[in-house]
Amino acid sequence: MAEAQARRSVFTGTSEMAGRMRAHDWSATSLGAVESWPASLRTATRICLTSRFPMIVWWGPELRFLYNDAYGPLLGSKHPALGKPGDQVWAEIWHIIGPMLRGVVETGEATWSEDLLLPMNRHGYWEETYWTYSYSPLHDDDGVVRGVFTAVSDTTERVIGERRLAALQDLGAQAGTARTVGEACDLVVGSLGRSAVDVPYAAVHLRTSGGELRPAASTLAGEVHRSDPTAPPVWPVAEVLATGRPAHVTDVVARIGDLPTGGWQTAPTEAVVLPLHGETGAEDIGVIVLAASAGRALDDGYRTFLDLVARQAAALINGAVAYEVQQQRAEELVELDRAKTAFFSNISHEFRTPLTLISGPLQELRARLGDQDEQVRDELEVMHRNALRLGKLVTALLDFSRIEAGRMQASYEPVDLARFTAELASVFRAAVERAGLTLDVDCPPLSRPVHVDRTMWEKVLLNLLSNALKFTFQGGIRVSVAERDGMPTVQVADTGVGVPADEIPRLFERFHRVPQARSRSHEGSGIGLALVQELVGLHGGTITVDSTPDVGTAFTVRLSYGVAHLPAEHVVTGLGTATPSDTAEPFVQEALRWLPADDTDDRSAGRPPPADRPGPDRPRVLVADDNADMREYLHRLLRSRYDVTAVGDGLAALARARTDLPDLIVSDVMMPGLDGLELVAALRAEPRTMGVPVLLLSARAGQEAAVEGLEAGADDYLVKPFSAEELLARVRANVDLARLRNHHANWRAAMINSLQEGFFVLDADGALVEMNTAFADLFGYGPEGLPYRPRYPWWPDDTTDPSAHRLVADTFSQAMTVTHGSFVVPQRHRDGHRLWTAVAFNAVTDDHGRRLVVGTIRDVTAERYAVQRETALSALNQRLSRAASTTEVLRAGVEELRQLWQAHRVLATHWPAAGTPAVTGTPTIDWAQLPDPVRDTVTALRSQPPLRITIDPATSVRPAGAGTTVDSPQGPLVIWLELDPARGFGTEDQMLLLLLCGALGQALHRAHAADQQREVAVALQRSILGPAELPAGFAVRYEPATRPLEVGGDWYDAVSLPDGRIGIVVGDCVGRGLPAAAVMGQLRSACRALLLEASGPAQVLTALDRFARMLPGASCTTVFCGILDPETGELTYSSAGHPPAILTHPDGRTELLAAGRGSPLGIPSPGGRPDATSVVPPRAVLLLYTDGLVERRRQSLDSGIAQAASAVREHHTAGVQQLADRVMDRMTPQGGYDDIALLLYRHPAPLELSFPADRLQMAPVRSTLRQWLRRTGADPHVAQDVLVATGEACANAVEHGHRDARPGLIRLHAVAAGADLFVTVADSGRWKVPEIDHDRGRGINLMRALMAHVDIRTTDAGTTVELHTRIPA
Amino acid sequence: MNTPLGLSTGLRADGAPVLTVTGEIDMSNADEFRAAIVDAVVDGHRLTVDLTAVEYLDSAALAALFAHVDRLSVVANPLLDSVLTISGLARLTTVTIRD
Repeated sequence: MAEAQARRSVFTGTSEMAGRMRAHDWSATSLGAVESWPASLRTATRICLTSRFPMIVWWGPELRFLYNDAYGPLLGSKHPALGKPGDQVWAEIWHIIGPMLRGVVETGEATWSEDLLLPMNRHGYWEETYWTYSYSPLHDDDGVVRGVFTAVSDTTERVIGERRLAALQDLGAQAGTARTVGEACDLVVGSLGRSAVDVPYAAVHLRTSGGELRPAASTLAGEVHRSDPTAPPVWPVAEVLATGRPAHVTDVVARIGDLPTGGWQTAPTEAVVLPLHGETGAEDIGVIVLAASAGRALDDGYRTFLDLVARQAAALINGAVAYEVQQQRAEELVELDRAKTAFFSNISHEFRTPLTLISGPLQELRARLGDQDEQVRDELEVMHRNALRLGKLVTALLDFSRIEAGRMQASYEPVDLARFTAELASVFRAAVERAGLTLDVDCPPLSRPVHVDRTMWEKVLLNLLSNALKFTFQGGIRVSVAERDGMPTVQVADTGVGVPADEIPRLFERFHRVPQARSRSHEGSGIGLALVQELVGLHGGTITVDSTPDVGTAFTVRLSYGVAHLPAEHVVTGLGTATPSDTAEPFVQEALRWLPADDTDDRSAGRPPPADRPGPDRPRVLVADDNADMREYLHRLLRSRYDVTAVGDGLAALARARTDLPDLIVSDVMMPGLDGLELVAALRAEPRTMGVPVLLLSARAGQEAAVEGLEAGADDYLVKPFSAEELLARVRANVDLARLRNHHANWRAAMINSLQEGFFVLDADGALVEMNTAFADLFGYGPEGLPYRPRYPWWPDDTTDPSAHRLVADTFSQAMTVTHGSFVVPQRHRDGHRLWTAVAFNAVTDDHGRRLVVGTIRDVTAERYAVQRETALSALNQRLSRAASTTEVLRAGVEELRQLWQAHRVLATHWPAAGTPAVTGTPTIDWAQLPDPVRDTVTALRSQPPLRITIDPATSVRPAGAGTTVDSPQGPLVIWLELDPARGFGTEDQMLLLLLCGALGQALHRAHAADQQREVAVALQRSILGPAELPAGFAVRYEPATRPLEVGGDWYDAVSLPDGRIGIVVGDCVGRGLPAAAVMGQLRSACRALLLEASGPAQVLTALDRFARMLPGASCTTVFCGILDPETGELTYSSAGHPPAILTHPDGRTELLAAGRGSPLGIPSPGGRPDATSVVPPRAVLLLYTDGLVERRRQSLDSGIAQAASAVREHHTAGVQQLADRVMDRMTPQGGYDDIALLLYRHPAPLELSFPADRLQMAPVRSTLRQWLRRTGADPHVAQDVLVATGEACANAVEHGHRDARPGLIRLHAVAAGADLFVTVADSGRWKVPEIDHDRGRGINLMRALMAHVDIRTTDAGTTVELHTRIPA
Repeated sequence: MNTPLGLSTGLRADGAPVLTVTGEIDMSNADEFRAAIVDAVVDGHRLTVDLTAVEYLDSAALAALFAHVDRLSVVANPLLDSVLTISGLARLTTVTIRD
């Protein structure tokens, strides 16, 4: 019972081990029954079981084993081992841990072990494991150590991970150290040998150039050497290389026996064979075999590690491969350099003898033939200079070979270096100054002499000086000697083109030349600076360079004092006086030939022999060579047969060829700027120069060079040196061929140049590549500027004349997309003047399939201005002809002028007899509104004689303008144009303005006369027609004919008859002028009288017939006569040959009153004149008119009547006056040739009432309004609504409209038109809606409810109520 | 000139008073009309205002009717219909329209 309780209290929890412990028969073990266990054991066991960390309790003399669940997996297959003696559980490591445990038990002291290696066999194999743990003593109740408590952690993964990482780092650290692949392989296996624990064996197999694999390195000493290539391979290396996939070998021992264990107890059993990848994209370079330690399972982690090893190894070997390749290349270059020097020095050696044999006799010849003719002397000079140059080259090369062979015969003597250097520099002074540069020599004496070999030092300095001159185009060269840091230092500095930073390291390399450097000559061997460096080196000195592109270059030579640094056998004592030797001459001579002042042959006409005078048939040859001697030589060779022009480089040749196309170009290949091949390419790219044959000369021999030249488009290729005969033969052949070939082209060129019109060719990009003389003359831009790219310089300027520029640019870009066309555009001559040109063009395709545009261009400026003048004049005249009055003429004139010049403003000012000047302006402006400066200018112009132009440039206050004075009937008229300052006002403009002002003046005179006549005519007519006291509801209009301006025979009349009816008449007498007016006046009076007497219109007309027959000129008058009842709208009418009256119903319908027809007056009407009756319905419009209103040329009368009817219909709801205006506006023809009379009536006439503001007036007003409403045809209910609403408005006016003592007047106005009815009630009071009391408020509400619209407005003058309602049809 | 107005008061067979109006009623005679209504009203009976023969009636007349609207009913011709309806009188008392 007690035992069971003890077990439960000690073996707590639900863990597996707690269960096992509870079930264990402890009494059968040396530990005894649990209840007998000492407290410390119980406690330790309890702690162990409740912990999640691996823990063990060893107890008793046998150190029996108690452990928890966390420890179980660490036991592997040994679990369960509960209660077993420790030496049985951990037999394989007992030799390590046993003594430690015993020590704890014996001493009672705890231990601490960190990352301790314990080789275990717990999974059926041996493995390398690492542990960190402590052993703590457990005491029994008596204080005796009886057991050990252990907390364990397995650190295997961490330890091995760190070790592998270290192995990889060691391997990586080898990078960059191997010089060869073999070394790299050795480094790989060497590093892996240090990591044998993880890689017990490694072997590298590399692919040979033949694709085979051979062992390259192995961790097994001697394995590589022992390998037998014929034996079958141990490892599947070939398969791995072929597939690129790793192989896993598990039978290592069977294949190769026991490999080194790598520190483990047993030999590896597994290995991997991995490919060694090449650099990105390259194929694998080999394979690596890596054995796995038997101490670790070859798991994913291990594989990954070995894979990384393989990659690292591959990287190392690849690095070595790259290094080897680079090294090999460098060595090859060195070898090549050496071979070159050897070759040249051998050759040079061979040259010396023939050179000597040339130079010697040459000197003699020069001496002997010095007074011979100039040409012989010149040729001898050329030979001499070039012999010197060759000698200099040969000497330099020989110096090299001597230096290299250590055979340089130096003789170092003490020299005043400053003076010697200054003297050497001065040798170059002439050449430097001729080049337009300055030479600054700053050589103060040094404290001591310096030992130099004089010849060598000369070469050093001359090379540096000639180099500086060659690359300096402005500024100068400075030579200075000074002592720096105790050393004699010489510096040659220039302000030349400089050397790019990346070229500086190679500057002293032999045969190296800085590519694309701008220089005075393209000639050079690239050995000068290399030789300088060697020579300075022989002096134990150093040379350094400091250069900035486009700023300059400075070479600094540092030497030493004394002789310690020099070989004693070559040191000479005794101070010599060093003076420049003849070494300097070749340098100076060569430099002088670079300078342009030497290009005497550019002026070929300067000294042509008399025999070769240029003639039209002589072919022209253009020579391009940067070597002046060669240029001169070629010139001499060719000038007997050809017109020769010689230039110094490709760019000059190209420019020359463009302006003056030669028959042949002879060009050197190597030239500064544009070389021969580039020149050919440039020539071939332009249509004009495409066909010119080119003969290239080159120093580069061989097929390739020739092919390159011919491919570039050269016609022939000649290698230097060449014989004179060979050159002449080639030139002749090419010229003849080209002449033949160019015959057609020449003919074409001649033809094009003979064209009167400008001719041009554009390439596919729009660049103008060819032009003829006429084109060049037209714009002032000649063929020397070809090609011209858009925007062409002859286009109008886009800032000063943007609209013209846009026009041209748009037209041009459009033209480039079509096949042919023509256009006229403004252009600009080089001198700035405006041109108008007509361009015609066609797109064509050339022999190479490229699109070209060819075209002609013609100056149409004069024609254009003439047309413009004509157009402007006719436009102005046309406009003026429509103007019937002075005002209209002025208005039309200024508008036309403004439009024509796009002027900001145009003013026409004249001075009336009194008052301010009258201004007709566009935009409209008053004299008072004009700025003062403009007023001053205009006033000044007034006193100027007519038709003289004054042009004012813009000032800050007055815009640029042009003005003139026109003589007009009202005195001088000043015309002032404010122009866009950007736009000029040239002579063409001035001429045009004068022309137009002349026309304006004439028009003003015409209009003035017309105005006067018109005033007379209208006054007369109106006096005849009498004062227009018309009955209500009528409107009348009379418009005299405008041309010829005369009074006419048309009249209208409306007469109130005694019975309340109204007689209405419109008549038209035949003829014009005063007689017609007189007849009209009489007929009108007669008709008026007859209306008062006669019973009806027919009777009136019949009576008029008789009158007309007596009155000369009255016959054939047409008359429409009617009698209207304004109450009912009833109309009785009769027509004497007059056009029908037009009746427009309120719904817009039109009715023609064409009945009651009879003959014109005085002509018998068979059966007598009839009366017709009609009714003018309420709100309808009656229109009577004369035929001037409806008669139109080439139009029937019916269509005119229809138009008039439509004009009425359109405005039939407007008031009669307004309606009359509208109809007249619509119908009066421009420049009408007949007068017009018009009479218009709307039924009923508007009601106009005016009554005192008295309530007693209400009933009679209401009665009148009720009657009028009846006439409007309004329905009784609508009428009642209007009556009530109006009654309320009147009531308000009565009650509030006369707050002042006296009652005011109330005005009532009612109109009905179409479907609308308006009533207006106006009083003089100031009542406002809110002031109105309740009852009156009800009245206003009534108005609003009854009417469609009510508007009440109060002003100082009174209150107006407007009522509007609709009368339904 | 005063606006023509005829006013006559009578009793129907049932004793109910009837005010018969002829002519036009406007601001000039509305007071007369108002007085006639006051006179015609009899306690215990609703006054019938017969406007059948009235051609015109404005807001002053309406004001008189509104003043006694709870004691009268109206008979009128169609011409007056819109004024009587718009004024709101028809909502407050019986308005009979007849030709």
